[in-house]
Amino acid sequence: MTSNAEKPATVSRSRYERERTAREHAEQLLEEKSRELFFVSEALSKHAAELEKAVEDRTAELNAALKKAEKDAAIKSRFFATMNHEIRTPLGGLMGMIDLLAMDEESRSKQELLRYAKASGLALSRIVNDVLDFSKMEAGVISFAQENVDLRALVESIGSMVRSDERMAERHFLASIDESVPERIICDATRIRQVISNFVTNAVRYSEDGPVIVRARGYGDSENEVLRIEVEDSGVGVEESRIKDLFQDFSQIPNSLTAAAQGTGLGLAISRRIVEGLNGRIGVETELGKGSVFWFEIPMISAPLNSVVEQEDFSRASRPIKGLRILLAEDNAINQKMLLTFLRRMGANVDLAENGAVALRKFAPQKYDLILMDVAMPEIDGLEAVRRMREQWSPDQLPPIVFLTAHEIPIIMEDAMALGATRVLTKPVQYENLQSGIREVMGLSDGDATPDAKGGKAKSDEDPETRLRKLVSADALKSHLTFMTIEGVVELVDDYVQDGLTIVDRIQTSYDSGDLDRCKMEAHSLVGSSSIVGFDEIADQARRIELGIAKLDAKQLAILLGGIGVGLRQIQDTMSA
Amino acid sequence: MKGSIFLELLEMAEETFGEEVVDRILDTTDLESGGAYTSVGTYSCGELVTLVSAFSDHSGIDGEELQRLFGHWMMTFFTKRYGSFFEGKTSAFDILEAIEDEIHVEVRKLYPDAELPTFATDRFSVKELDMVYTSPRPLAPFCRGLIEACLNLFNQKATIEMSALADAMQSTKFRISLVDQS
Repeated sequence: MTSNAEKPATVSRSRYERERTAREHAEQLLEEKSRELFFVSEALSKHAAELEKAVEDRTAELNAALKKAEKDAAIKSRFFATMNHEIRTPLGGLMGMIDLLAMDEESRSKQELLRYAKASGLALSRIVNDVLDFSKMEAGVISFAQENVDLRALVESIGSMVRSDERMAERHFLASIDESVPERIICDATRIRQVISNFVTNAVRYSEDGPVIVRARGYGDSENEVLRIEVEDSGVGVEESRIKDLFQDFSQIPNSLTAAAQGTGLGLAISRRIVEGLNGRIGVETELGKGSVFWFEIPMISAPLNSVVEQEDFSRASRPIKGLRILLAEDNAINQKMLLTFLRRMGANVDLAENGAVALRKFAPQKYDLILMDVAMPEIDGLEAVRRMREQWSPDQLPPIVFLTAHEIPIIMEDAMALGATRVLTKPVQYENLQSGIREVMGLSDGDATPDAKGGKAKSDEDPETRLRKLVSADALKSHLTFMTIEGVVELVDDYVQDGLTIVDRIQTSYDSGDLDRCKMEAHSLVGSSSIVGFDEIADQARRIELGIAKLDAKQLAILLGGIGVGLRQIQDTMSA
Repeated sequence: MKGSIFLELLEMAEETFGEEVVDRILDTTDLESGGAYTSVGTYSCGELVTLVSAFSDHSGIDGEELQRLFGHWMMTFFTKRYGSFFEGKTSAFDILEAIEDEIHVEVRKLYPDAELPTFATDRFSVKELDMVYTSPRPLAPFCRGLIEACLNLFNQKATIEMSALADAMQSTKFRISLVDQS
């Protein structure tokens, strides 16, 4: 189609009117559209504001709920810590007094009464522990530690406890830890011990003869390794219909062997909660009249080699406490009496301070070989007192310090260790525990603070190996001696000490110049060398620097470095004595 | 029906028959809008049919033929105004297949209440495409014009067979078969 039409120069009135009508129509349409858009946009803004408000409200609600939950948990936690303290302190007093009476009592019949009293006291303290544990679990305030555990040593220590039980006099306790269980695993030693002890105690209680056998093995692939522990007895077993109640709270299986109800019936319920808290499983295989195998399985995590080991050395040589000059800071009159008697009986020369302030006044360098410091005291508590001593005196002017606490150790461990405490003992302190605790501490600080004050020099007639045995952890020494002579190890220790002292200086210098990375690196190297040579305590302190350097202030660092320095010098002194 | 269709029809008529003829037809034909159209407005489809038949009466050109010619005109308009639809398309079939899923989608963004026809396509071989036009409006010849113009755009030649669908009164099927050009 082609266009031939010419366009005229002017347009008609009708064409003009049409165009105008069309324009007005278009304008009207546009106005309507604008209005429509306005309302839509307004509705959208309103909706967005509502949404934002809703999100804010919800966030505030959640925050409030979280705060409340945190507060509740803190209150509960504090309550249980207080209860623990309040219940254990008088109980400890009772038990201590019984111990004291028993020591002096010569009448056999009264001795027997005291033995009953002591047994009842122990039973009560077990029940108190059970109930407190259970309540803590109920309240959800229980936490699990992650520590390196030597399962073999742990089971062995349970074994030595069980073997001393008169019901086991004619029977055997057997432990079989498979090679699949690594030398050190990471878990909560106290809790694991609690579960195994509970199984073992039940096995003893519910069987008359035959051995009690503890077995442990690991299985599974490297991603999901599982530790399985079993405790077997050939006792009365459990009726099938009762199995499901076994792990329930307050359940107890009546049986002919337990004439009277014993315990709280909480043992297995607590065990179940512990195992579940460790992401594990618990169970039993049993046949009525033939015996039972109680077992639990938890994830097994191997501890890295050469890492710090916090384990008790059950074979530490006993050293005389006689003549030791001890400063005892304790405010509770009963505890004072008990501890004073215990310590005097051990042959120590004890100086009593009724509180932290008195202890501060009494203390002077060279005056004491050991400080026993209660944590909870009015006015100046034990931690504060030691803090002030650290401020006033240099680390090598302070003797070893042992804290005594009725709180659970983990709560104050951090503070105590930061203050360079050598050991923390929990109250109620029993005679044997106090004795072995002091021996251990003084054994560690051999050569520096050991008494023999009058004897003058330490026993320099010991051969190098004996001295090494006191210093170096048994495992490490054994491993050294597989490829080195004794002289070699002596040289190694000597090099280690020299190197260690230089590192201590370098950490301080780096810290002064603000080079925290360098501090960390130096501390790490000291952790490594200490672990390898076998000075676990020093490795531990160096690790505290390595891991905590960012948070340590100058004073805290000085305390830690001082502690390491003292440790190193003690090693040197012992070796060159 | 959108106002732009009316404006383009009048534009084509003015181009062909001159403004005076268009003015006269608009003045003498009974139209609801009075013949005053704006592109943003919407008008009854009946007016389009009335106008086409009025132009047919004036020119003696068959109404369906006028619709077909208008289809060609509109394709040119579309390429000028909405060139972006044609970008990346390499053949007439590409365009025809894009009407439903691309072009109509865009139209609805501007005019949410537009009553659009549907164009179902089926390319059943490399050279053959069936397109079914469904609309209550009797504008099949206009569609044919659009298809032809679209083929011209890409210099393609094809036969176009139109057939009614027995079971769908408002649908018309176009079978488009490309012809080899050698």
